[in-house]
Amino acid sequence: MTIEAAGNVVAKHRHQETQGAGPLLRVEGLVKHFPVRTGFFGRRAHVHAVDDVSFELAEGETLALVGESGCGKSTTGRLVLRLLDPTLGKVSFQGNDLLALGDRELRAARRDMQIIFQDPYSSLNPRMTVGQMLEEPLLLHGVAQSGRRERVREVLGLVGLEAEHAQRYPHQFSGGQRQRIGIARAIAVEPKLVVCDEPVSALDVSIQAQVINLLRDLQKRLGLAYLFIAHDLAVVKHISDRVAVMYLGRIVEIGTKRQVFDAPRHPYTHALLSAIPIPDPRARRERQVLGGDVPNPVDPPSGCRFRTRCPHARERCAQETPALIDDGAHAVACHFWKEITPTVRADAVLSPSKELVEARIDERLARLQAAFVT
Amino acid sequence: MSANALLEVRGLTTAFATESGPFNAVEGVDLALGAGRTLGLVGESGCGKSVTALSVMGLIASPGRVVSGEIVFEGENLRSLSAGQMRDIRGDRISMIFQEPMTSLNPAFTIGDQITEGILRHRPVGRQEAKRQAIEMLRHVRMPLPERRFDDHPHKLSGGMRQRAMIAMALALKPRLLIADEPTTALDVTIQAQILELMRMLRDETGAAIILITHDLGVVAELAQEVAVMYAGRIVERASVDALFAEPQHPYTIGLLGSIPRLDREAARLPAIEGQVPNPMTPPPGCRFAPRCPFATEKCKREEPGLREVVPGHHARCWYAPIP
Repeated sequence: MTIEAAGNVVAKHRHQETQGAGPLLRVEGLVKHFPVRTGFFGRRAHVHAVDDVSFELAEGETLALVGESGCGKSTTGRLVLRLLDPTLGKVSFQGNDLLALGDRELRAARRDMQIIFQDPYSSLNPRMTVGQMLEEPLLLHGVAQSGRRERVREVLGLVGLEAEHAQRYPHQFSGGQRQRIGIARAIAVEPKLVVCDEPVSALDVSIQAQVINLLRDLQKRLGLAYLFIAHDLAVVKHISDRVAVMYLGRIVEIGTKRQVFDAPRHPYTHALLSAIPIPDPRARRERQVLGGDVPNPVDPPSGCRFRTRCPHARERCAQETPALIDDGAHAVACHFWKEITPTVRADAVLSPSKELVEARIDERLARLQAAFVT
Repeated sequence: MSANALLEVRGLTTAFATESGPFNAVEGVDLALGAGRTLGLVGESGCGKSVTALSVMGLIASPGRVVSGEIVFEGENLRSLSAGQMRDIRGDRISMIFQEPMTSLNPAFTIGDQITEGILRHRPVGRQEAKRQAIEMLRHVRMPLPERRFDDHPHKLSGGMRQRAMIAMALALKPRLLIADEPTTALDVTIQAQILELMRMLRDETGAAIILITHDLGVVAELAQEVAVMYAGRIVERASVDALFAEPQHPYTIGLLGSIPRLDREAARLPAIEGQVPNPMTPPPGCRFAPRCPFATEKCKREEPGLREVVPGHHARCWYAPIP
């Protein structure tokens, strides 16, 4: 990769790194409360957006943060980049305490941490050409002009766009191409970590697959670590190494992809998995439909926050907050997961009928679909 | 197509005028739907699925216009009706629910006002009776505390509750046909599961036919019995839900099914449909999918195939279907 012409601050910062020792990113006890006014008299209250979140992310690894609206996954992503300041907690990136950095040092550190947003259109400046937009972060990080042009061309190639596209404006691109531009801007400065905030949710299915493939290619080529924020568990299963499931500001389960998808422990994880419609009418399942809505984060339930919707909730769940207990690499925050896991797994099994017919039909589909793999 | 179809659409073409000339958002669409059946209308942004639905509802507004075709509902060609006659049918025998309940509910009126408005408009009943029916309907869609919710404004409800309110409104008059345009797309997945379950239950109870418009093939697999796949303004494939998912015959459907990441499968690399949907102002000369089709031949690039029955009951718009 190029950009030897990086600024002094950046170079100095890079030399201080302690390579290979410890994770790339370590988040400990992160808490974020947003003040809000509620009720007629404007009583002051707090939204408990993120509450005691901890995780680690290694170089080149993908950790997915999954959950539904309001679970705190996007806020966590912003706290990690210090686009928001946490109420409590610690974020270390490459061994440096991000919260202790001054403005100048933070700017330098941000060269290594970038973000891709959900809506590529609202995150691109309509008055700038793609070339100008891609040069901007290089300029900020002190790359000389000659290096910048070269790098723009190179980065456009990496994300599957043409060098000529540098002269065009965002409105001249389709949604999928705009997301490629968003990705190009994020990787232009050769970051180590990219926070991907719902990067494919706004895209059509066929385009979504293109962008997922691109993100995986780039990771392999550039050794990027992704903090992949998403609500779509199928996408997450495809792209991640490890998964953290969030509910109302807390991580309720975290483990490797295999552990979380093949042997989910938390009843919420199971409910999420069981709620996803599978695009196959033969895969009819016993579905466990969760009742009710996510509670108001201004006034979350006592004890386990999931208990108001949990089919297994008992008295202890209301009284005592379950800790995220680490059992090897697979941690779960549920008092009773050992008791309920067997029932949970039994009804997650798909019906195995008509296997022979399916095998023949699926062979045809797999063969035809292989023609679409590039 | 059968004589006992509830709805039959033949050769529907709807055009929109733009500064650079008119274009057909849907072209030559044929559909048939029996009473009580559910048809999934699937496709990506801009494929014409919503325009098809709005054409059926008679809700295409300028600069759009239904240019040609017949829309026969319960034996009556809707295109020959006056605006007033159409208003009598809408909300009564045909009703619609939309993706974003917040933008289709009026924020200034209570949930109850909005449900009773439709009842009072179409039925010779008084306020008290309309209110009774509305609360009954809210109970039917499993709205918690229906009497209380009746007096609530939409902003007081969660997304899932709003969608329940909208479904209650749409079903209050027991329509024969319900058009649901991305009814669960804006909802979280656990709430989506609730609404899908509700729609399945209501369909079985009321016997209403449903046109389910969605981009989500998972939702179609859950709810629909028949499927029509649209691409660039045309129907490219039509079949029973089982046949379409098991043995799709159009390359677009094949690619689309492959490009969805799935919980029940592992794939090192997703099959992706390269390129993008053609500009509707300048559709390609032959098959509209040819520029993105890995199987396309010279013939595909020159001549557009028609929609034909390639396997009994299974229609595809491809020169080479049935594909072995």
